[in-house]
Amino acid sequence: MRGWVGRVVGGGLALGAVAGTPAVAQQQSVLFLAEDVPTSLNYDGPAASIGTTQTGFINLMEPMVYYPYAGTGEDGVRLLDFTRYEGRLVERWEYDAASLTWTMHLRRGVRSCAGNEFTAEDVLYTFARAKSVSGKAPVAWFLANVGGVKGFTRDVFKDPEAKKLGDEVTKVDDYTVRITQSAPNAFLLMAMTIYGMAPFDSKEMKAHAKPDDPWSHDYVNTENVPAFGPYCLERWVKDDEFVVKANPNYYRGKPAVERVVMKKIPQSANRLVTLRSGRAQLTQRLTAKEFASLRNTSGVKVVGVYGNETLFLAPNWKVPPFDNVKLRQAMAYAVNYGQAADIGYAGAAKRWESHIPSSFPGYARPDQQYAYDPEKAKALLAEAGYPGGKGLEAFADQFKLAYTAERESYLGPIAAVIQTSLKAVGFPVVLDPIPQTQIGDRRLVKKDLPLSISDTDKASAISGAYQLMVFYISNGAGAIINTSNYANPEVDGLFAKIKAETDQTKQTEMLKAVQDILQRDLAIIPILETKTQYATSAKLSGVTWHADNSIRFFDLSLVP
Amino acid sequence: MSTGAFVLRRLGVSTLQLLALALAVFFLIRALPADPVARLVGQNPTPEAYASAKRSIGLDEPVTTQLGRYLGVASGSSGILQGDLGRSWVSGAPVGKEIRDALPITIELVTIAFALAFLLSVPIGMMCAVKPGGAADRSAFAYSLFAGSQPEFWWGLLFVYVFFSVLNVVPPPLGRLDPMLTPPPSVTGFITIDSILAGRWDALADGLQHLALPVLTKVFVLSGPIIKMVRQNMVRVLQSDFVLYARAAGLPPTRIARYALRSALAPAIALFGALYGYILGGAVVIETIFSLGGIGQYAVRSILSFDYPAIQATILVITAISLFVYLLLDIVHAVVDPRVTH
Repeated sequence: MRGWVGRVVGGGLALGAVAGTPAVAQQQSVLFLAEDVPTSLNYDGPAASIGTTQTGFINLMEPMVYYPYAGTGEDGVRLLDFTRYEGRLVERWEYDAASLTWTMHLRRGVRSCAGNEFTAEDVLYTFARAKSVSGKAPVAWFLANVGGVKGFTRDVFKDPEAKKLGDEVTKVDDYTVRITQSAPNAFLLMAMTIYGMAPFDSKEMKAHAKPDDPWSHDYVNTENVPAFGPYCLERWVKDDEFVVKANPNYYRGKPAVERVVMKKIPQSANRLVTLRSGRAQLTQRLTAKEFASLRNTSGVKVVGVYGNETLFLAPNWKVPPFDNVKLRQAMAYAVNYGQAADIGYAGAAKRWESHIPSSFPGYARPDQQYAYDPEKAKALLAEAGYPGGKGLEAFADQFKLAYTAERESYLGPIAAVIQTSLKAVGFPVVLDPIPQTQIGDRRLVKKDLPLSISDTDKASAISGAYQLMVFYISNGAGAIINTSNYANPEVDGLFAKIKAETDQTKQTEMLKAVQDILQRDLAIIPILETKTQYATSAKLSGVTWHADNSIRFFDLSLVP
Repeated sequence: MSTGAFVLRRLGVSTLQLLALALAVFFLIRALPADPVARLVGQNPTPEAYASAKRSIGLDEPVTTQLGRYLGVASGSSGILQGDLGRSWVSGAPVGKEIRDALPITIELVTIAFALAFLLSVPIGMMCAVKPGGAADRSAFAYSLFAGSQPEFWWGLLFVYVFFSVLNVVPPPLGRLDPMLTPPPSVTGFITIDSILAGRWDALADGLQHLALPVLTKVFVLSGPIIKMVRQNMVRVLQSDFVLYARAAGLPPTRIARYALRSALAPAIALFGALYGYILGGAVVIETIFSLGGIGQYAVRSILSFDYPAIQATILVITAISLFVYLLLDIVHAVVDPRVTH
C-alpha cells in the first residue's frame, strides 16, 4: 500500500518520485521508543533522578560491583540475585574489619570508548569528583555517604578543605585501591552497584575540564560521558534521540545488539501503534490497558516483573488528624484494593502486604493485615473519635488527596477509586492533582502535604534495609523520602543495628521486627505492588529487571 | 509618513514590547508557587546541599541582582542584551543552542502548513464568494464546520490511525525523520533545506513524508477559518460601489476579481499574523502527537521543570518571532493598502 498512495499522501508535498523507503541500516539495530531521551549524562547533574536520563548514562558506564543473573521470572523478565555481589570493574575485594578498610582489586585490560585503560586513577578521580559536590545533585557524594566512606560527611558543604579527597580512598598500585569507612557499615558494596558511583574515564574527563568547570560538568551535561560501559555515544539530540553503538573494547564481550536508537515518543498511544507495526523493537511506560492490549498481538510480547514499583497512600504524621493511628488503620481497611488493581493497572498489580516489596531480600509478611472491610473501617473511625466521619469536616484541607497532575491518565482513576472508598466510610476526601514541581517540592523537601498518593517513589537498591532507610526511618535519622514524616525511635534504633550488621540472617530477623512495627503504625498505607512491564518485538529477548528500572542494552539480543 | 519611517516606528515599538515582556516574565515566574531548587537537587537534600544548589543557579541572590544578570547589566555578567540567554538548569546546555535546535522544526511545520492553507483557502474562499449559496459555498461551509468541530489533537490522532495504522500510507509518527536514518549535517536546522544542501535526497523524501501528516492536520484545521474570512470579505467587496462601477464600465471579470481580491486580502493578512503567532505558541499539541521535538515541547518541558532561563528565553523568542511576523505583515499591509502609512 506504500506504493503510489504512499507517494501521493506521504510524499505528496513534493518529491513524489523519490519517495520510498529510506536507506536505513536496520541490521543488529534496536529502535527503543521512550517517553523522553536523556537530558544530561551527568549522574551528579540536575536531571539524574529522571528515569530516561538514567538510561543514557547507565548504558555508557560500568559499575564497580553488581549482581549476578538469577534466571528468568514467570513473566519473561530475566532477574538478578540481589543477595550476592559479583565483580565488575572491581574484580574482587577484601575487607579488614579491624581497620574498616576495603581493598579493591581492579580488573585489568578494561578499555573505555576512547581506548584508555581503566586504572586506580579513574577510581580516585571518581571519588574526588563525588566529594567535590560540584554538581547540582550530589548523588555520588550521597552514595559514598550511605556506604560510610570516611570523610564523605555533610562537612563537604561547609568547608572547602573537606571537599578534597584525603586518605579515605588511596591508590596502592595501578590496579589496587583502598577505601576506608568511618564506622562498620554493610552498605558500601550495595552503594557501589548504583549508577551514581560508576567510574569515569579520568583522562578524557580531565581533557574536557575548564578553569571554571574543573570536573567537566558542562561536557557531561551536554556532550558525552567518557566511561567504560558496553556502549559508546554515537549521536545525541536532546528532546529527540539518543543513539549508541556497541563498545568494541567492552571487557564482557561486544554487545549482541550493535546499535540502539532511543527515540522520544511522548504519546504512549504512538509508541504502541509503532511497536505493533513492527517498526520498533522495545518500549516502556505504556498504560496498563495498553500493555494488556498488546498481550494478544502477534509479533509483540509483554514481559513484566513485580519489582520495586508500588502504590501507596501517605497521610502525614505531623498533620492532624493523621497522627491518630486508629484513623490511619480505618483508612487502610476502607481502601478497595481489588478495584484499584483492576481499574488502575488492568490486573497487573497485587496487594502490597508489608512496607517492603515482596521481591526484596528481607521482606517478611507481617501478621497484621488490612483487608478491604468497610464495616471494620467505620468501627475504627468511631473509635478514633469520628463516628461516621463526624468531626472530620474541620479537616477539609487535610483531606485533599494530592497526586501528580502530569500523571493524571495513570493516577487519576486510582485516586478516584481511593476517594470513593474512603468517602463511603466517612472520610471527606477530595482530589487535588498538582504539578510535578510543586508536588516534588512539597513531598520531598518541605514534606508538608497532608495526604498524597504516589506510584513513582522507589528504592534504587533492592534491599529491605535500604527501603527502610529511604522511607521509614525518621527524617532526623537521615531518611531519603519519608514523605509521611513517620518517626519512631524504635525503628531508628533497629535500623542503626541493621546497617552495621553483616550477618544476613540477623539482618533479616531485625527487618521482620521492623516490618511488624511499621505495619501496626502504618508509616504509610501500602496499597499495591505493581508490575514493571516492557513491550518488545517477539524477536527481542534478554530484557532484565534492574533496580533503577532502566533497560541495559547489553542484556538484549535480537533474532534476525 | 514614508514606509521607512513607518517600519522604524514599528521596530521601536516592538523593541519596547519585547523589553516589557522580558521584565514581566522574569517577575511572574518568580511569583509562581514552586521551588525549582527542589527539582534540581534531587531527593532528600541536606540543607547544605539545598543551599549549594540554590547558590549554583544564583537564586540565593536578591531579585534585583538576578535581574541585572538576566539583562546583562550587572558587572561581569552576560545577559539578553549581549544575546546570551543563559544555561538551562535542567540540561546544563546553553538555552540559545537548545532553542536553535528546536525552533526550526516548529517554524518549518507552521510555515509550510500556513503556506499550503493559504494557497488552498484563498481560491476556495473566492469561489464560494462568486456564487454565495452555490454548491462550492455549501461544501466549504460544511467542511469549515466539520474541521472546526473537533480539537486539533483529535484530528491528529485520527489521521495517525487512518493513514498509518489502517492504510499504512505514511510513516509512523516518530518525528521529523526515520529514527534509523542518519540525518543530514545540520546547517540551518531545517531538515528540508539541510537535506537539499547535503544532496541527501533520501533524507529529503523521508523528511517530507514525516511532515505530511502534521502538515495535513494543521492545514485541515487552519483552512476553515481562512476560507470563511476570505469568502466573507470577498462577498462584501463584490457588493461594493467600486466593483459595481467596474462592472458597469465593462471590465472583464478576471480583472474585477483581482481588484476585489486585493481589497479582500487586507483583513485576511491581519488574520494571518494573528494565526501565525497563535499557532507558533500552541504548536505543542501537534509536536506531541507526531513526536516532533519543536519549540512547543521545549516550552512545556521548561515550564513543568521550572527551568527559569529556558522559560524566559522561549517566551522571548516566540514573542520576537510573532512581532517580526506582525511587522512583516504590517509592511505588506502598507503596500496593499497605502492608507495604513498615512
